[in-house]
Amino acid sequence: MGWLVLAILFFLILLPLAAVIIQVLLPGVFFGQWNTGDLSLLLDVFTRPLWLASLKNSLYLGVGTTVFATALGCALAIVRSRWSFQTARLLDLAVWVLLITPSFILAQGWVMFAAADGLANAWLGWTWITSLVFSPEGLVVVMSLSKFPLAYLAIASALEWKVDRLGEAARLCGSSLWTVWRTVELPLLLPAICSGALLVFMDTIGDFGLPASIAAVFRFPTLPYSIYSALYTSPIRFDMAGVLSFYLVLLIVAAMSIQFYVMRKARFDVLSFRATRQERKTTKRGSMWLNIGCISFLLVVIGIPFGANLLMSISDTSSMDQGLQGLTLRHYEELFANGEALLDGLLHSLGIAATAGIIGLIVGFFVAYVLTYSPFKYRRAVDVISLVSLAVPGVVLGIGYIFVWNQRWLEPIGLLLYGTPWILALASVAGAIPIITRVIVGAMAKVPGQLLAAAQMQGASFVQRVRWILLPLIRGALVAAGLSAFGSSVFDLAATSILFPPDFMTLPVFINKAFEDLKFAYAAASTLMGGGLVVLIIVIVELLFQPKKWKAGRDHA
Amino acid sequence: MNKKNRKPKWSVLTLLVSTSLLFAGCGQGSTTPAASGTDKAGNQPAASTTTGSAPTKEDKSKGEPLVVYLNDFDEIIGPMFEKETGYKVKLVSGNGAEIMSRIEAEKGNPHWDVVWMDAMPSIHKLGKDGQLLEGWTPNNAAGLTDFAAKLVPANKTYYPTGAHAAGVIIANTKQLPADKAPKSWNDLVKPEFQNMVGMADPAVAAPAYPFVAWFFQQEGMDKGKAYFDLLLQNGARVYPKNPNVAKALTGGEIKLAALQESNAYTLKNKKEPVEIIWPEEGAPASVRVAGIQKDTKNVEAAKAFIDFILDPKVQQQLIDQGEESYFEPSAKGAVAKKDRAANAKLVVADPEWASEHEAEIKQWFADKAVK
Repeated sequence: MGWLVLAILFFLILLPLAAVIIQVLLPGVFFGQWNTGDLSLLLDVFTRPLWLASLKNSLYLGVGTTVFATALGCALAIVRSRWSFQTARLLDLAVWVLLITPSFILAQGWVMFAAADGLANAWLGWTWITSLVFSPEGLVVVMSLSKFPLAYLAIASALEWKVDRLGEAARLCGSSLWTVWRTVELPLLLPAICSGALLVFMDTIGDFGLPASIAAVFRFPTLPYSIYSALYTSPIRFDMAGVLSFYLVLLIVAAMSIQFYVMRKARFDVLSFRATRQERKTTKRGSMWLNIGCISFLLVVIGIPFGANLLMSISDTSSMDQGLQGLTLRHYEELFANGEALLDGLLHSLGIAATAGIIGLIVGFFVAYVLTYSPFKYRRAVDVISLVSLAVPGVVLGIGYIFVWNQRWLEPIGLLLYGTPWILALASVAGAIPIITRVIVGAMAKVPGQLLAAAQMQGASFVQRVRWILLPLIRGALVAAGLSAFGSSVFDLAATSILFPPDFMTLPVFINKAFEDLKFAYAAASTLMGGGLVVLIIVIVELLFQPKKWKAGRDHA
Repeated sequence: MNKKNRKPKWSVLTLLVSTSLLFAGCGQGSTTPAASGTDKAGNQPAASTTTGSAPTKEDKSKGEPLVVYLNDFDEIIGPMFEKETGYKVKLVSGNGAEIMSRIEAEKGNPHWDVVWMDAMPSIHKLGKDGQLLEGWTPNNAAGLTDFAAKLVPANKTYYPTGAHAAGVIIANTKQLPADKAPKSWNDLVKPEFQNMVGMADPAVAAPAYPFVAWFFQQEGMDKGKAYFDLLLQNGARVYPKNPNVAKALTGGEIKLAALQESNAYTLKNKKEPVEIIWPEEGAPASVRVAGIQKDTKNVEAAKAFIDFILDPKVQQQLIDQGEESYFEPSAKGAVAKKDRAANAKLVVADPEWASEHEAEIKQWFADKAVK
């Protein structure tokens, strides 16, 4: 099975990426030309000012965001799993919303809030916000506030089950609660924390939308920005994009090596028959503080970007200085009047995302299984490839997909996927695999292989083992993974903008077109409508699959 | 156990490697001559056969739909064309950069028949590389204005349908009253306009390159660099694209901008407090041109499309109903929008020069922006 998984990942992710990188060595090889490229381009990163600045900035942004976002996500996950408070479910909802919202929407919201004419200045008079947000440090903070859900989800899934015996044994030996938490429970969370941190790092260095939008106000070129420039500037230079992608991949490999080094000697599979579901405690006074803290946090993290978008969608002009007189609902009216195009795009996107979610869940499950339980020799390779697509900008993957799947000889065997909606589904699966895999791995890490081996010795087949032992234990993680893949695929702009077939509009392309046509309010309105619908679907599916979690929450709260 | 594992390992590895070679190598075997770059002579494409020979409307709709890559007017041109000629058409619309990138990536197996964009230097390059159909004159070419007729290249690979200003001067009148605003491009480097100016990045925004190309061509590379150096030293800010510039202008971050005509008139029509100034030297223009793919299987429909968009009635309809309605039409008889400045002077950079120096100039701007 390891080989099957490796082959699938190779076709989905590695081949398109290699197709772009190989442009450095053999430009035009996919067009039937055989000439060697200019290898000195590889070292140009140290001489070209734009490229060097991009590399440094990407590194700074990546490391800074990883540290903050992981710490934030970890703290939130632990608080959420240990204590129950009334606004806890709001936090869950907020995390989902942040995860599926495309970074350019969040960025637009922050810009509307913190710009010189934005909400902060016009309505609240906080002139210090502008210089605070529009600086490299401010960018790290804004990125962390948008990327922490990745770490939060990875760690929260692992916190679903706990084994009290270990902690109790430590207490019997005399350690305090704090020592128990510090030396027993926290280290056991390490794989989940590392997974989360790696996800955040990957997503940050591959993110184009957020730094680019905020950096419209001050220059902060990143590697994805330079790749975008190489791909979207005539004369198109695929080999330059290849070089920059190569350096991006190098950053990824470096990050992964650090993770492997940190986790090399540990064993984390401690779930045994004595494992119990984490139960949430309530404290009277603590509850109030937790609620206050949660609400204020959500006000910043969700309130700012979405509130700004909301206000933008109901305001008449694009500057905020008219105050309450400038409010209008006409953009929403326009939306319903032209509803057909938006609905078309929405349905197409939902269809692609649902397909991608299901296929991605199946592939991701097998990848996670191979990573956790199989003695396959090339697990490292599977690990690396499954993460790579998160860090590689969607644009690069998109171009790679065109190279690979636009070959003439594929047509007679019916595999000329470019030009059909299937290529979008494929690209979305590739983009969703990292999140799915990591969320499931984080949960699977706690289920020891011995459980499955014991069942196997009793005669259970693979399907039976998965169905009766593994799936129930990681059900929460599976639902979370599938829904996060669905949500993020709906709004994937980068890949769909380059791959969409004729007359097959997708939602993010529709919204982006509105932005580019200067119809900011209309774009904000369609985003909120489309996003609202997706959130609704996610909530319904969660209710269907995890009614116990919701009921339990209600009993405790 | 080890021996059993070794055999599948090698076979699967070779399978993976050979598959990738197959993807790369087979591209070579079956691509048509159009993909092999600059060799123009003697490459008569066998694939460009005509579809139906009987030009009745019913026959036309039975063929494959015409695929057009464009960056504007996608909202009306499809139904307009189908109604008039009976050919079915499929549109792929994106911004200029996305479309060019798509065309370039599809080089081994193009999916498009007609490209229609306001990116004349880029399409000129396509023509030079032998990717466009050459030497065909549409019937309506006789009806081109003098300004437009000069823009048709010698190898007749594309035809212009309209030109609009890639940059006009626009002022935020709330921050800078109209009488104090600059009247020419040379005014922008004056100290009284320090830290007030914004423009789009030629390395990112499609219309921004034709804008700067004119300056460089007029003054020569060195003087052009000197001008923009002065402008940047005077505190001018460079934004990725024109919508970003527009937002910065209305937000008060900048008081003046070199903004694309369509964005500028959109702001004006939204009753934003702005004033448009057509500079004395003239506004560098971005020309919208259309060309046919060399090996298209839909030659009849493609030619019909080009003739269609060169028709003055069609251009008038685009002006009256289209979203990018502020442009100077290329067909005699079509009249530009009434509130567009009557004496709008457009100047065009030579596309041959512009496409030759494109990489150099864009790289210069990209590196400048970092410092």
